[in-house]
Amino acid sequence: MLLETHREAIETIVGRYASPRSAVLPLLYLAQDVYGHLSNTAIREVAAILALPETAVFEVVGFYTLFYSRPVGTWMLQVCDDVPCCYLGAEELITALKDSLQIKEEATSTDGMFTLQRVKCLAACDRAPVLQANLDYVYDVTPDKVEALLKDLRSRAADARRRGVSGRFAEDFAVTEQGAVELVARDAPYQSRQFEVQGPPPPPEPIPPPEVESGQDRAETRRASPL
Amino acid sequence: MGLSDYIIMRELNFPDINRFERYCQVGGWEAYRTAVKEQTPATIVQMVKEAGLRGRGGAGFPTGIKWSFLPKDVFPRYLLCNCDESEPGTFNNHQIIDRNPHQLIEGVALSAYAIECHTAYIYMRGEFAAAALTLEQAIDEAYRAGLLGKNILGTGYDLDIYVHRGAGAYICGEETALMESLEGKIGQPRLKPPFPAVAGLYGKPTIINNVETLANVPRIVEKGVAWYRSHGTEKSPGTKCFSLSGHVNRPGNYELPFGVPLRDLIESPEYGGGMKGGRPVKIIIPGGASAPWLTAKHLDVPLDYEGVAAAGSMLGSGAVIVLNDTVKAPHVAYKMDEFFKHESCGKCTPCREGTHWLVKVLHRLAEEGHAEPDDIPTLHGIYRQMAGNCFCLLGESAVMPIKSALELFPEEFEAIIKASNERHQRNGAHAIPLRVS
Ligand SMILES: Cc1cc2nc3c(=O)[nH]c(=O)nc-3n(C[C@H](O)[C@H](O)[C@H](O)COP(=O)(O)O)c2cc1C
Ligand code: SF4
Ligand code: FES
Repeated sequence: MLLETHREAIETIVGRYASPRSAVLPLLYLAQDVYGHLSNTAIREVAAILALPETAVFEVVGFYTLFYSRPVGTWMLQVCDDVPCCYLGAEELITALKDSLQIKEEATSTDGMFTLQRVKCLAACDRAPVLQANLDYVYDVTPDKVEALLKDLRSRAADARRRGVSGRFAEDFAVTEQGAVELVARDAPYQSRQFEVQGPPPPPEPIPPPEVESGQDRAETRRASPL
Repeated sequence: MGLSDYIIMRELNFPDINRFERYCQVGGWEAYRTAVKEQTPATIVQMVKEAGLRGRGGAGFPTGIKWSFLPKDVFPRYLLCNCDESEPGTFNNHQIIDRNPHQLIEGVALSAYAIECHTAYIYMRGEFAAAALTLEQAIDEAYRAGLLGKNILGTGYDLDIYVHRGAGAYICGEETALMESLEGKIGQPRLKPPFPAVAGLYGKPTIINNVETLANVPRIVEKGVAWYRSHGTEKSPGTKCFSLSGHVNRPGNYELPFGVPLRDLIESPEYGGGMKGGRPVKIIIPGGASAPWLTAKHLDVPLDYEGVAAAGSMLGSGAVIVLNDTVKAPHVAYKMDEFFKHESCGKCTPCREGTHWLVKVLHRLAEEGHAEPDDIPTLHGIYRQMAGNCFCLLGESAVMPIKSALELFPEEFEAIIKASNERHQRNGAHAIPLRVS
């Protein structure tokens, strides 16, 4: 039960708003992270924590596309097919993914590893074609990169690296040596914000000369940035 | 025409500018420190007003004037920073955060101080999980340095900033829908008036501004009105971070002063670098999906609010999508309206039904090549019933792609209809495959 396992996180979240109802979205993310998807039980649980009518929470789950009320694959692959991506290789990417995974859109691969979905603009149109794997951006995914990407995602799921970011639960599952998928525990994503206030910032170090001139190399910054 | 001094993408070549200490080394957070210690909130509002800062979220509304709409002596107030950024073609907000989160946080903090509020929320689209984490960490750093929290720098001013993630809905970028969403409800717009400045989040006076808008504030306060106004044009002062995408050689974000010709952005080797493969420009969508289309003959239009409006479109969010002659106008209209159909919140009939029928007809026509002889009047009929009748601007925006396509490229619709007719005549039947959907 969330209230037992994540009481501190829940109290922190609720404390951020003047009305507890505002915590619906963050708590649904939390529930989805913990349970993998939002079953009816999970939705009722969130409603009970916030003392809201169940319909109010069911309605929210139905409205927002990042809440999954059905089980989905370990990796949710969301490919942008909007303008301009659709003219820059998105359709080819979707075909390549379907071929490689042998699934249709909105379906999950038989090993439960991938669910494929078309989505609207992901706000990375300069790096088309683009997809999100559990909200991790993957840029410039031309069809020739698909196999390597899927392989990498499979091994990352197997490593079950732990991450504290809401909305990502793939890394919470590990593939055992026998090939079964099992849940791995991880830290609460929300910590309360109580810090010792430190003194003034450290005296500035001498500023090294910028590595590149501004202007032309700004584009390099763009390319070199993690985006 | 490069900028010597960037405002929004300041100091990006300074290594590790995303770290608190590094941002402080180049004068970051100084404007805020000075403001809370020495300046009154009204001074900051006055500066922003005089600088002529205009909202970058789409409407270009003067920010200082918006701030002064707050009713006197009604508290608490809220500041919301809009980072929903979901309109096709827009992609600068999260890049601002990824590269230099402190600039945004300082902007939010300064603006909150100016409007005398003690709680600010940064609403991010749900997909920006990584950027949300970046911001959370940067906010934590500011708390540790005593710049946020209780009794800031010993002045008695309190401010909390929280990041709130949406969960995948473009409509939550609309200001009142954003407030509904932040209140834990489905994102459907509210009736205006009352405007948010009077009754917004939890019914309290609320100011809502875009990420890029707020990222301007520290520089305005630090360097002054005259300096800020030395960039851009008289009516659109400052710089704009244009998000350039589509069939150009170098898509990306480019910060340029307002008023630069569209041609420079697309063709200059420093920016767009011309069209891929040297193909001709066919369609330019200058302000995100909701802007009416421009064509190659508009390349000399200056990129400021007035210039683009005079050309019959709008600068909107400054997302410039450029498409070449390989695309078909009916198909672009189809894809764009598919976006609006997907994102329609369903509250009002003209938008919910109108986008549905537009997409149904356009899908048959543009994807399947099956046309009815009177498809053109049908399409005109659908969007005319939407225009002016929708509850919010999403529905009104959905009119733009189809209207532009029919106005600028009627011959492409006619060609599909003609080809479809001929096929039907050859086959002796006027058969349109039934689609169950
Ligand atoms: C359908 C719709 C979507 C919108 N999406 C956004 C958005 O993603 N980001 C944004 O800043 N403004 C968006 N806006 C505009 C906001 O309603 C609001 O005007 C803006 O955030 C005000 O900020 P500004 O004064 O800084 O421009 C949207 C408006 C509509 C009608
Ligand atoms: S115009 Fe569309 S998005 Fe706006 S309220 Fe009506 S249905 Fe909702
Ligand atoms: S259209 Fe694909 S990311 Fe914007």
